Amino acid sequence: MTATLEELTTITAAKVVDARGAACPGPLLEAKKGMGTVSLGDTIEIWSTDPATKADIGAWSAKVGHEFLGALEAEGYDRVFVVRRK
Amino acid sequence: MAEKLVLMVTKGPGDPELATVPFVMAAAALASDVEVVMGFQGPGVELVRRGVAETVAAPEFPPLAKLLADVRELGGQLLVCSPCIKSRGISATDDLVEGAQVVAAARFIAEVTSATNSLVY
Repeated sequence: MTATLEELTTITAAKVVDARGAACPGPLLEAKKGMGTVSLGDTIEIWSTDPATKADIGAWSAKVGHEFLGALEAEGYDRVFVVRRK
Repeated sequence: MAEKLVLMVTKGPGDPELATVPFVMAAAALASDVEVVMGFQGPGVELVRRGVAETVAAPEFPPLAKLLADVRELGGQLLVCSPCIKSRGISATDDLVEGAQVVAAARFIAEVTSATNSLVY
């Protein structure tokens, strides 16, 4: 993670991907699609009710070259932040 | 795509979980910019028989039909064992899902030996 929880609360994402309710690998596939709709340097925010998503998105970001900023807990779901870097 | 993953699928609709997991892995690999080849052998060939994926769902996973659609949309290759479909009366021309390609052993060997990694289910 490259952002503090406090910093994450101040981020306005270029796109919010609502993958709540989706089972693995749904949130990842939605993140992949969402990333394709924003510009380099923009942040996307993925909403997921799967507790494994934040670790999964972190691993995916490291694998493909995006910047994983971290995650915030919301009411019943996680908000996961990733910057498009490629 | 510099990396290639081959997934050999041998479980059919009778084992919904292990029929589904390779599609999950394939979709995740494709989303990670890894080339994917899925090879179907034995009972696994039933999964690419037209209409069968719609009947398979494992708890806590997306339905197989959704995952199959994802894999195809993301560019995964579907290779199907020729003798395995013949022995089950599956027609290569009429009964397989769109994009499935019937192959024999040498093609599987070529794919596996040129892959970065292979998984067998």
